[in-house]
Amino acid sequence: MSAVTVMTSKDEMKAVGTRPGSRDEGARLGFRLTLPAQILVLFISAFPLLMQLYISVTDWSPLSGTGWWNAWSMWNSFANYTDLAADARFWSALKRTAIVMIVCVPAEFLLGLALATLFADDFPGKRVFYSILLMPMMVVPAVAGYMFFMLFQSGGPVNDILSSLTGSPVTIAWLSDPTLALIAVMVADIWQWTPLMFLILLAGLVGVPEDQIKAATLLGANPWQRFVTIVLPKMKTIIIIALAIRVIENFKIFDTLYIMTGGGPGVATETISVYIYKLTTQDLIWGYVAAIALAILVVLSIVAVFAMKRMARAREVAA
Amino acid sequence: MSAIHLQNLVKKFGDFTALKTMDLAIADGEFMALLGPSGCGKSTTMNMIAGMEEPTGGKILFGERDMAGVPMGRRGVGFVFQNYAIFTHMTVRQNLAYGPKMRGAAKAEIDRRVGAIAEMLQLTPLLDRKADRLSVNILQRVAIGRSAIMEPAIFLLDEPLSNVDAAFRAVMRTELKQLQRQFRQTMVYVTHDQLEAMTMADRIAVMDHGVLQQVGTPLEVYNDPANVFVARFIGAPGMNLLKGRPVESDRGLVVDLGPLGVTPPLPVELAAAMRGARGEVLYGFRPEQATLVQNGQGLAMPVTFVERIGARTIVHLGQGEAAVKTVFDNDVGLAIGDTAVIAPTTSSVRVFDAATGLAIKAG
Repeated sequence: MSAVTVMTSKDEMKAVGTRPGSRDEGARLGFRLTLPAQILVLFISAFPLLMQLYISVTDWSPLSGTGWWNAWSMWNSFANYTDLAADARFWSALKRTAIVMIVCVPAEFLLGLALATLFADDFPGKRVFYSILLMPMMVVPAVAGYMFFMLFQSGGPVNDILSSLTGSPVTIAWLSDPTLALIAVMVADIWQWTPLMFLILLAGLVGVPEDQIKAATLLGANPWQRFVTIVLPKMKTIIIIALAIRVIENFKIFDTLYIMTGGGPGVATETISVYIYKLTTQDLIWGYVAAIALAILVVLSIVAVFAMKRMARAREVAA
Repeated sequence: MSAIHLQNLVKKFGDFTALKTMDLAIADGEFMALLGPSGCGKSTTMNMIAGMEEPTGGKILFGERDMAGVPMGRRGVGFVFQNYAIFTHMTVRQNLAYGPKMRGAAKAEIDRRVGAIAEMLQLTPLLDRKADRLSVNILQRVAIGRSAIMEPAIFLLDEPLSNVDAAFRAVMRTELKQLQRQFRQTMVYVTHDQLEAMTMADRIAVMDHGVLQQVGTPLEVYNDPANVFVARFIGAPGMNLLKGRPVESDRGLVVDLGPLGVTPPLPVELAAAMRGARGEVLYGFRPEQATLVQNGQGLAMPVTFVERIGARTIVHLGQGEAAVKTVFDNDVGLAIGDTAVIAPTTSSVRVFDAATGLAIKAG
């Protein structure tokens, strides 16, 4: 990044870049070599997408008594999409998903960044803490869900700790209160995914050139100034990647949450994934599910494209 | 501006002693080169001056002021890193403005100072360029400007030319020396390249294995090396050293080099300094200061290799302990297998005690 390179002569530079046809030939060979893989990828991504698109404009369900390929007979002229626009439960699930994301992702980011900053320096017992810190990420989400389900029972450890802290018995019914249940599932998500944020951000942090930080110090910058003017700008790309990964993942939040609350009480913790799951397994209206899933995919794709654009620009800036 | 005094400076990393003990006085406005092979302790010394590392023992004084416990941001030291450590995510202007901005200078003040320093370093047209795609001499100027804007009393440069290819180094050396004349700051320059040290420094401190070997002007260390290490390290190729014993002859004191025969008589003052001492010595002379002689008044040695480097020709003579290199005009008529008879210029001969490695000084 900051390595100093000197071209000995312009001719030498030219010679590397423009050997006649070499780049084109390389590209062609690369294309031929990856062709089988590309066909495979195209098939496994394009086929389900087209199938989904097809089903989403029909009333087809597994109980229709006919294969999905015959769904054209149940064509309902985009009724699924108009229903979707009017589906209050869908919009509230979407809003809830957004709330969870707006709370969890920044919390995970800030915690992860703080931990990464801590772990960028040496301290006694660092390796042990490092291992412990990464453990939540390795716990199977379903197990984590069950763990938090137990923790948040009204006779569970969370209330026990609160009791001993306040001195009077606390029996909060965490998972049956609409607001507290949402908080509980967010706590579980933050617990499980902060380590990933930490890991990615630590990788970015140790990649910040040491000598530039030293140079800033010698020029009189205090630790906070160094962090803001050198460390953060250098980490921009990796921060965007970390946020993009977590935004996309968090949007699909399901397993831990479903085991803890099943989307309840009522629909108080029902996110998009939970709603889709219920529609799929309980209501069995697959045409409608396909329409929702497609709509979500479009939204997420827009987010991803935006993130990639920012990333490309950040890379240009930070290089 | 400020003088630097290093007193009994010691640095240990665990069991490893990077700097055994160092006493050095650098005058105000002086350009001092710390020269030595890698691992000699020169960078450690510089890092301690900058405050990046704490000395294990001894003192660092800037003028009269003891620097113990003064953090690196408060020492008033400008530091140019080996790879310049330019903030690549900023423009040249932002790089230059970094120091004053961090110290909370007013916007107008910053603009004025950046403008002045950019003018001085001819960076004005480049101010709004991103710093990640600049050529290496521009990077050097930005690095110097970024430090110079803080008006540091002392400038430290850590091998700033080691990433630069040979052809460009000459340009950069000249530029750097001119800049030092402009700023008139005390400069400490760390390098393993003797050519850089010789061409730029007012004085050179030669170091090896954590020990200061010699301090002197470029000509002093070249002409009168204090010991065998300096004699071999300075000069390209280094000084020739041949083991022998001083012997009295009818022509005066000579050195008996064993199978190579005896040397021409030593200069009178040197011979006087050596009287009494009869242990083994190393007979030294510069490769540039030997001439070919026709009669037998010299050392006869077989030619083992001829390096024609353009302006001059380096001729390798003899083998093993009795090997020397000599530098002649480029058209010298010697070929491998010939026997050359050489005579060192009498005034250029230096003699070292073979046991201690120290120079035996005339007078």
